[in-house]
Amino acid sequence: MEIVAINQISPDQVILWTWSFITINVTIVYTWLVMAILVIGSWLVTRNLSTGINVSRWQHFLEVVISTIRGEIREMTKKGVDDYVPLIGTLFLFICVANVLAIVPGYVPPTASLMTTAALALCVFIAVPFYGISRNGVLHYLKEYFQPNFIFFPFHVMGEISRTLALTVRLFGNIMSHEKVIGILLSVTPLVFPVIMQALGLLIGVIQAYIFAILSMVYIASATSAQEESHKAAVSEGIQA
Amino acid sequence: MHIDWFVLFCQIFNFLLLVYLLKRFLYGRIIKAMDDREATIAARFADAEKMKTKAEEAAEIYDRKNQLLAEKSEQLLNEVSIAAESKRKELMEKVREDVDAIKTRWQDMLMREKDAFFQDLRGRAARQIYATARRALTDLADADLEARIVDEFIRRVRELDKEKSAQIRKAITGGGNRVTVQSAFDIPKETQDRIEQALKKQITKGFTINYSMQPEVVSGIELRVNGHKIAWSLNEYLETLVENLTETLQKEAHSG
Repeated sequence: MEIVAINQISPDQVILWTWSFITINVTIVYTWLVMAILVIGSWLVTRNLSTGINVSRWQHFLEVVISTIRGEIREMTKKGVDDYVPLIGTLFLFICVANVLAIVPGYVPPTASLMTTAALALCVFIAVPFYGISRNGVLHYLKEYFQPNFIFFPFHVMGEISRTLALTVRLFGNIMSHEKVIGILLSVTPLVFPVIMQALGLLIGVIQAYIFAILSMVYIASATSAQEESHKAAVSEGIQA
Repeated sequence: MHIDWFVLFCQIFNFLLLVYLLKRFLYGRIIKAMDDREATIAARFADAEKMKTKAEEAAEIYDRKNQLLAEKSEQLLNEVSIAAESKRKELMEKVREDVDAIKTRWQDMLMREKDAFFQDLRGRAARQIYATARRALTDLADADLEARIVDEFIRRVRELDKEKSAQIRKAITGGGNRVTVQSAFDIPKETQDRIEQALKKQITKGFTINYSMQPEVVSGIELRVNGHKIAWSLNEYLETLVENLTETLQKEAHSG
């Protein structure tokens, strides 16, 4: 039995348990699975951390990952790098693990659900003013919406909303379409080609995770450091293109 | 498209929970571990730098000490060689002096032996010649040699020039009018008279003659008065003989 049928566009459609308005579908279950893998893995590795010369392989691995994330964040903003690591790092790790696990048969990435990507994009949508206000104050943050003059206010608001929508749809579209392409290929050419697509899917999954995290950081950085706004906007334009 | 609000909020909650859990179990711990390690490494580097500085200082101190020791040893060596050189010179000087002293002593001894030898030789030669001449005169001329010697002495007295006579006369007056005649043999009374007569005739009168026998006046007779003398003896001939002999011996010694 296929968990997600070809005619079902989202894993949200596969409902495992329901009671009143509470519906537990495949998206939520696999989200919990990814969360469990991340949290238990982190806990196992970080139980016995070494600060000396001899470091375990897993600790090395996690240190490389965290260092890379910090490095990426540092390129966007100069101040308070470690403040952004939990949000940006979790975005990247969650999306990456959720996408990469697609190689396991029977698994459907939660990111193939519009609700998941929308939830992540909403988090970023909230995080941008949160960080902006905590860094520069309410007035300074709101003033940015009226730059260069008040006429631009609606455009700024539209920009905020549209980029959140773009984040949502980009990730959803990529992962969902990949799942569908695999499903279609399996029915058309069941040998060889689906394998190639799976390999490509791994690459796409990691790239999407990277894009989502980096764009989130760009939005946050543009809100927290107005001076570098033009530069960040150029970067974000480049990535979106 | 249908929006499932429950799933949406559930996913938002799930994500925020995940952020919290990962912050709790992953980022905080890993970042702390990395920071601690960086601090440890930095501390180690600082320690290493400190130790390096210390080691360099120690090396510098030892270099300086080595240099000082080398200079000191060189200085000591120089002093020692200077002292040794001066000691050597001193010893050489001493040896030279010793050798000179020994040489001088040896030369003196040689000279003394030579003198003693010639003295002895002269004595022997004189006695031999005297004996030979005496025997020859006795054998050949049938005359007493001593008489001939006295004759010769008297002849010399008679042949004195005026100046010499005046000198002797003055000497006799200054010496208390006493004249000593020494001879190697005993002069008979008759001969003594002849001598007195001759002297008084040639020089002056009014003095007394004192005769004495001296073997040193080899086969001769001599008159001594206050630093002046009239004499004939074999000594003159003997001295010539000795001089010639010495010369000959030295020549032979040099050529030998």
